[in-house]
Amino acid sequence: MVELWFAILCLMLVMFAVLGGWDFGAGALHFIAARNQDERRMLIAAIGPLWTWNEVWLVAGGGVLFVAFPRVLAISFPAYYLALFLVLWTLILRGIALEVRGLIDSGLWRAFWDTAFAAANILLAILFGAAIGNVVRGMPLQADVPLSLPLFTNFGVRGPLGILDWYTVSVAVFTLVCLCAHGASYLALKAEGEVYRRAKALTKWLWPIAVVLLLVVSAETFYVRPELFTRMADRPLAWIALLLTAGGTAAILTGPRAGAEARTFWGGCVFITGLLGSAAASLFPVILYSTVSGQYSITAYNGSSDASSLRAASYWWPVAFALSFVYFWFVGKHYRGRAQTSQYGHDPQ
Amino acid sequence: MTDDAAFWHRIQFAFTIVYHYLFPQLTMGLAWFLVAWKWLHLRTGDPRYGDAARLWTRIFGINFAVGVVTGIPMEFQFGTNWSSFSKYAGGVIGQSLAMEGMFSFFFESAFIGAMVWGEKRLGPRNHFLATLGVALGSWLSGYFILVTNAFMQAPSGYAFAADGSLRLASLSDFLLNRWALIEFCHNQCAAIVTGAFAIAALGAFYVLRGDNGSQGRLFLKWGAAVGLVASAIVAFPTGDAQAKMVARLQPQALAAMEGRFQSGPIAEITLIGQPDVQKRQLDNPIRVPGMLSFLAFGTFHSDVPGLGAFPEDTWPTNIELLYYGFHVMAGLGTLFILLMALANLQQIRGRLESSRRLLWILMLAFPFPFIANTAGWVTAELGRQPWLVYGLFRTRDGYSAAVSSGDTLFTLIGFAGLYFVVGLLYVFLVGREVLHGASPGLEHA
Repeated sequence: MVELWFAILCLMLVMFAVLGGWDFGAGALHFIAARNQDERRMLIAAIGPLWTWNEVWLVAGGGVLFVAFPRVLAISFPAYYLALFLVLWTLILRGIALEVRGLIDSGLWRAFWDTAFAAANILLAILFGAAIGNVVRGMPLQADVPLSLPLFTNFGVRGPLGILDWYTVSVAVFTLVCLCAHGASYLALKAEGEVYRRAKALTKWLWPIAVVLLLVVSAETFYVRPELFTRMADRPLAWIALLLTAGGTAAILTGPRAGAEARTFWGGCVFITGLLGSAAASLFPVILYSTVSGQYSITAYNGSSDASSLRAASYWWPVAFALSFVYFWFVGKHYRGRAQTSQYGHDPQ
Repeated sequence: MTDDAAFWHRIQFAFTIVYHYLFPQLTMGLAWFLVAWKWLHLRTGDPRYGDAARLWTRIFGINFAVGVVTGIPMEFQFGTNWSSFSKYAGGVIGQSLAMEGMFSFFFESAFIGAMVWGEKRLGPRNHFLATLGVALGSWLSGYFILVTNAFMQAPSGYAFAADGSLRLASLSDFLLNRWALIEFCHNQCAAIVTGAFAIAALGAFYVLRGDNGSQGRLFLKWGAAVGLVASAIVAFPTGDAQAKMVARLQPQALAAMEGRFQSGPIAEITLIGQPDVQKRQLDNPIRVPGMLSFLAFGTFHSDVPGLGAFPEDTWPTNIELLYYGFHVMAGLGTLFILLMALANLQQIRGRLESSRRLLWILMLAFPFPFIANTAGWVTAELGRQPWLVYGLFRTRDGYSAAVSSGDTLFTLIGFAGLYFVVGLLYVFLVGREVLHGASPGLEHA
């Protein structure tokens, strides 16, 4: 039961990384892939009417963490208090920018919200990356000492830890590049005209850079947490995830050159899924790793809700999960194909 | 110092939830007007309904967006600011909060974009379905939140786990908590009152201004008719049932709501007065004898306990605010019924559009349902004190010990600043739509 809920939590986060990821990545490229206001309108139309649906994976993932692993929530959220509010406020700014940009037909209005939107996406991609970095690196957890992490200390991964150090910053940079590449793949599939051409060109550069950065980050991870790699050997799920990563890598390196937009796009989705999957498979069962001593780590077993609470949740969760795709299908079928800025009813967003 | 920390955590949650709920109450109230207008437009083809739905959908879209972005921090604050509570009750209240995300947010978020931007793409039938989807999703979302609140007010369906925290014992007892069902009826009708008053206000504005008259008349008619029915249901039977439930399950809260310190039969209801907690009395009261006994327990002779009957450490912590919150809510609710009855009377006599004074009142009345809803929630949440989960877990034990009061104050000020800007933006954008009015057809702007 606990293993199932660990898997569900990972699934929610993978869905957010893949689906929300292309929105954040495309948004981070707002000024690079789209050079004038008409093109930016096209970019936002490509992110389209389902950006909130994509972002719900994050919010619902928070709900899953709450019901299944309340101790993890209760320790990590206060520990990262100010960083989390930075995320929340930036999410607010991003949502507002996306929704109100198209409401007023004025160049100054749009320029302002375009800038806010792009900046918010870049910052959020970095913050999500730093969050992954913190989970992998661990935090100085001890028994009965409330944890609170400073933003940064001496940028080292040993000794007094901060949220940002050379390792978490590297993961953040990799995440930003990876999401930008993913966003560019999405735009190459959904956009038209100049945005489409630029996005296609960007995938040729960004994916190889992402792969190189992944090698760097993997080497760094081996230095920070070597046992994660040795552990993979006897975990078949980790092999599958690694195979997915390898397959995705092949697709994102060959797809852009061959002009195969769909191959690049799906390759990117598989690449991200495989990476997060292999991280989860090697981290399991630890969710919050203690850098002080293994006995203080919060695992899926000692951090979960009672079995009866988990059982109740496993009755309704699959129903809700399946239903969410029904709505997606109902709306998504109307927005198939490439985005067109003229086909919106009220104001072309 | 620890009390100080708890205080700032409470203020931050109170501020962010009160601000957030200004938007969903209008969303939930407007949603069914939109469904009705879309349906009538689909069936009759009458363009007035299509235009009305289109104008209010634009306002709805802005309102919904602000509701979404101010709602995300609410869920996360359980973890950041109330981690001890989350650890204690997460296995239970996490259910309804996760269900809200899984069932309602996916539902609403899939349809909201299509509803606001996709009238042309979806075609009339599917656009109606998208509107219906958003309405259902927003009400479902409201239900899950009220289930969460109902568990804090009158816990049901739980048991204790080995480590002393709460675990879920019965999903159906938890989801079909009697408190949740009654609170849902009461609260959702109150949301419809907010929507009806907003619609009537815009109708009055258009009629008074003298242009856009056909839209104005439609809004006045619908706003007044629905507003009267909904205001009446908020008072009876839903408000009445809510009061009887509070009398039975939270007798201290009822005593504090009425500023009642002494117990006894033929309990009087207080219309006006000021509680003086120091002296254990109500200053300058105007009362109706026996009414409280009747409203709370059904007979004029029922014994209604005062606060003196309970140990002081189970008294609500802010009796004055609780008293005023309840009286503001109940007083405004009564005035809403009177105002809407008068509006409907004039409507039936065919004189509503020429009663300029009444139109002015209707136009300026729309903020008051927001105030009444807020005051009602202040009553519910202060009445629950000093408990976070009634009878089980105290509020002062629930906050995050790892977060300093300075950090909480910082984020509170941050929210105040950010929400001020968001509020300005909202007023500006909705104001534009209102002044712009309903543009006929699909092809405008």
